[in-house]
This record gives sequence, structure tokens and C-alpha cells, in this order.
Amino acid sequence: MFAKKRSLWLFLLPGLMGLMVFHLVPFIGGIYFSLTDGTVHNRLVWFENYRRVWGNAAFRQGLGNSLELSLLSTPLIFLFSFVLALMLKTLRERSLPYRNILLMPYLVPSSALLIIWMVLFDYGGIVNRLVVALGLERVMWLESGALRVPIILLYVWKNMGFSVVIFSAALQSLPDEYYEFAMLEGAGPVRQARSITLPLILPTAFLVFVLAWVNAFKIFKEVYFIGGAYPRDEVYTLQHFMNNRFTKLEYQDVTTAAYSFALIVLVFFALLYARKGVRGHDRY
Amino acid sequence: MTGTKGLRQRRTGRAISTLLLVIICGLTLLPIVLTFLYSFFPMSEMKAFLDTRNSYDQGRFMNILLAPATVSLRQYYDLLIDKPIYLQLFMNSVKYTLAILAGQVLFIPTLAYALSRFRFRGRETIFFLVLMLMLLPFQVTMAPSVLTMRTLGLMNTAWAVILPMMFAPFYIFLMRQFMVGIPPEMIEAGLMDGADTVRSFFHVVLPLSKPILGAAVALSFADAWNMVEQPLIYLASTQNRMPLSVMFNTLSSSEQGVIFASAALYIMPALLIYSYFQEDILLGIQLSDMK
Repeated sequence: MFAKKRSLWLFLLPGLMGLMVFHLVPFIGGIYFSLTDGTVHNRLVWFENYRRVWGNAAFRQGLGNSLELSLLSTPLIFLFSFVLALMLKTLRERSLPYRNILLMPYLVPSSALLIIWMVLFDYGGIVNRLVVALGLERVMWLESGALRVPIILLYVWKNMGFSVVIFSAALQSLPDEYYEFAMLEGAGPVRQARSITLPLILPTAFLVFVLAWVNAFKIFKEVYFIGGAYPRDEVYTLQHFMNNRFTKLEYQDVTTAAYSFALIVLVFFALLYARKGVRGHDRY
Repeated sequence: MTGTKGLRQRRTGRAISTLLLVIICGLTLLPIVLTFLYSFFPMSEMKAFLDTRNSYDQGRFMNILLAPATVSLRQYYDLLIDKPIYLQLFMNSVKYTLAILAGQVLFIPTLAYALSRFRFRGRETIFFLVLMLMLLPFQVTMAPSVLTMRTLGLMNTAWAVILPMMFAPFYIFLMRQFMVGIPPEMIEAGLMDGADTVRSFFHVVLPLSKPILGAAVALSFADAWNMVEQPLIYLASTQNRMPLSVMFNTLSSSEQGVIFASAALYIMPALLIYSYFQEDILLGIQLSDMK
């Protein structure tokens, strides 16, 4: 660790300046925005904007939908990726091709997948063929509230691989000796999972969960691709509310909504930060 | 006794895992494979196929197309030769992505180096801010960012899309988490040989960071290649400057005949980047402190 080196500025300054101008200053500026009235006088109105925005039905709808979509997709990603990572671990070095395939969608632009998604989920599409084959009624995936399903699946399809990789990395770092020892002592796979895998994997699981949740809360792209700028009520997200207010030049509403949103995200953040792992790495 | 039982258990476990993984990987690949497959159908056949969508006739399904009447490159030809707008949008995406990556390569490893290997007042505060900014969605800073861009005279120019992404907090976090884990002995060994901070950056830290650099480039490529939110706002009044990612849902209704070829062409660079960097991604994440 270097201390009191003047070369610090050489490394720190360029990146820090950019971070300040393009991320931090807008963030702080936004707080001011949300507390003023937006006229030429820029009067301070304190929480007037918040009262108005929270009273707005579209805002509440967007907030509710964003929460709902994230609450549906996060557990899916979390559980699936954990189970997949466990399965990959049993295959050891032969798991590599599978892992590579599972991560692939993370790199593939979901915008380009839109069209095939529309074909698969069409009223006469393959998904409905399966539904009928299972003896159920066809579903209007794209024309009703069921639109949530293709959106969530597109999101899960794209983002699960990243969680799988993080889980796999953590599972791989568990020493084999623990398992060999447990086996000698006669512990079955369930006992091994409960006494070795789970406790050791917990910090990583926590990170995966919080990251997956925060990211799912930000879901917008997939909804925009499938539903457009003014989608059905059921999938109208908070981001839609903000984007549409923005086009109407109602900046006060946008930032106020944004900070209400940020507040919720920052609660997750506090959870993450409160744990020691991510904070000060003064191990070195 | 326990030995053979354990062995048999492990073997069945492995068989079940393999079977399930093959099925799941197949499902994962399906949309990509179908997109490529459909891009080789003749335009008329594809158009006819897509026209059977949105029919609510209970008795009918869309056909399951698996092989074209004739394998045709017509979609690609039409797209690349007859539709200059497609190439223009595609090149916009290329331009934005390359510029963003170039900027990140310049600014992010240096910043991460400062945040991981130097001790100075305010370091923890900066890292705290990076973490916080990384979690916030784009829309939080949208309106004030537009004011910033306007003040700088960058609204509706490519720079408005490029500059903020150059300093994307997530990649600062990713690089920093990796660099923090480089054993201090390695850096001290360099110092013994008389290396200063700059030399140790170029000759010790950067070479050791190769996997995370590759991972960051690939992940950031994916981000930039698929960006939607930023261009929608910053380039609102200049449609022909949009990256292709934003335009797919307009194209999907107006250019039915060539839509699959356009999607396939857009996926291709992502797949190339992925196949080149996939080991780095796995290794980079494995070696980073992710808990």
C-alpha cells in the first residue's frame, strides 16, 4: 500500500473528475431539484414535490409494478442460479462448456432477441402449443397482464448466467478436503450441503441476492422492448413514469420520483454495506 | 462400504446434473439458434410466417419453421445493400461502443489502482460513493445530467452518450475488487527492484489484472451494445444518431422481411467478443473479491 505519494493524483484525478462531473454532480444536483419549485425563482419548497408525486396514481402504479417485477424475477434468478451452480460443481472440470453457455445470454443484446420472443409467445406460438399440450387453455401472453411472463423470462434468461458464475466461483473456492472428511464421517449429501456448503456460501449468496434485486428493480429495457414507451398498466414501471414525465419537461416530478426510488435502492445498499466484506479492505 | 455407496451416489448425482444441464443449456441457446436459423429463410417466406402472428383463431397455430424452402442470404443482402439506414444505425452502435471502451481503458484501471493500492484520506468515501452510484438506475440522475450536458453543450451529440459511460461506477468497482486482492508481496518485490508507483502499475498490477481487464471489456461491451436508456434521452431529437439497440422495436414492425438477419447481425459481434473473452470473465470473477 502506497502512502503519501504524489503520483496518487496522476492515477486518481482523471477518473475522479469524470466520475464527479457525469455522476456525482448530477446526483447532488438532483437533490436540490427535488426540493425546489422549478420556476425561474427556484424557490425552496421542501417536500411539496414529494407530496405531489407520491399522491400521483401513475407514480404509485409504476412503483408497485417495479417492485412486483423485481420480487418475481429475483427469487427465480437466485434459486435457479444456486441450483445450477451446485449441479455444475458435481461435474467439476467437465462443467466448463455448460457454464459458458449459461453465461452467453448476458453478453447477447436483448434488443435483438425481441423479435424471436414475440414469435415464441404469440397467441399461436410455440409456448402456447406447450400450454395446450399440457391440457390448459391458451394464454394471451402479449395482450394481457400475462405480458409480465415473457418480460420476466427475457430478463431472467439474460441475467441468470452472471449469478451462476458468481455462485460457481464461490463454490469452487470451498476446499475439497471438507467434503472428503465429511464423507469419511458418513455425512450424506444433504448433511454436507447444510453443514458445509450453506454456511460458507452465505456471504456470496447475500451479494448475489442484493445485486439481483437492485438490478431487477431497475428493469426497464426488457419492458421497453416488448411493451414500448407506453405499455399496458400491468407493466408500466417507475422508469416509464420518469421517462414520460421527462419528455413532458416536468423535471421536478422526474427527480422527485427518482429520489424516492433512490431511497428504496439505498436501503438495499445499506444492507450490503453494513456487512464487513465489501467495506474497507485493510487486510493489506 | 461408505466408499462405494458414496461413489454410486456421486455417479447418479452427476448423471442427473448432466441431463438437467443439457436441457437447460438447450433452452438457453434456443432463442439465439432460432434467430440465426430464421435469418437464412427467404424474405417472402419469413414475411408470410410473421404475418400469421396475432391471429386469435382457436383452431390454428403458427407453423413451427425449422428448415427454409431454400437457404437464402437474401435477407442479409437486402439489409446490407438496399437499406443504408440499417448500416448507419449499426455503425452508430460500433462508434459509441468503441469510444466508451477506449475511455474506460484509459480512466478506470488507473482510478481502481489509486483506490486499491494507495492509502490517502477520503479513499473510503470515494469508494462508498462509487458503490452507491453503481446501484442507482440511470433515471435517478437523468434530469440533472441533461442540465449538465446542456451546460457543456453536449446535448444531442454522441458525447452525451459516451462520456458518462466512460466512468461507469460498476467497472470501477469490479477492477478495484480485483486489484485489492493482488498479494502485496508481488508489488513489494517490484519496489525492491527500484520500481516506482507508475512502473509498478504498468509492470506488476496491469499484467496481473489481465483477466479482470478482459472481463470488464466484455461486460462493458455488452452494456454499451445493448444500451437503451441513455440514447433515448440524450439523443431524443436526432433519430439517425441512435444506436441500433434502440431501434429494434420500430424495425420489428416495419421491416419484417429482414428482421431476423438484422437481429443475427447484431448478435454476432457480441458472440465473437464473448468467445474471445469467456475465460477471462470466469477467471476474473473467480479471483475478485465478490462477497
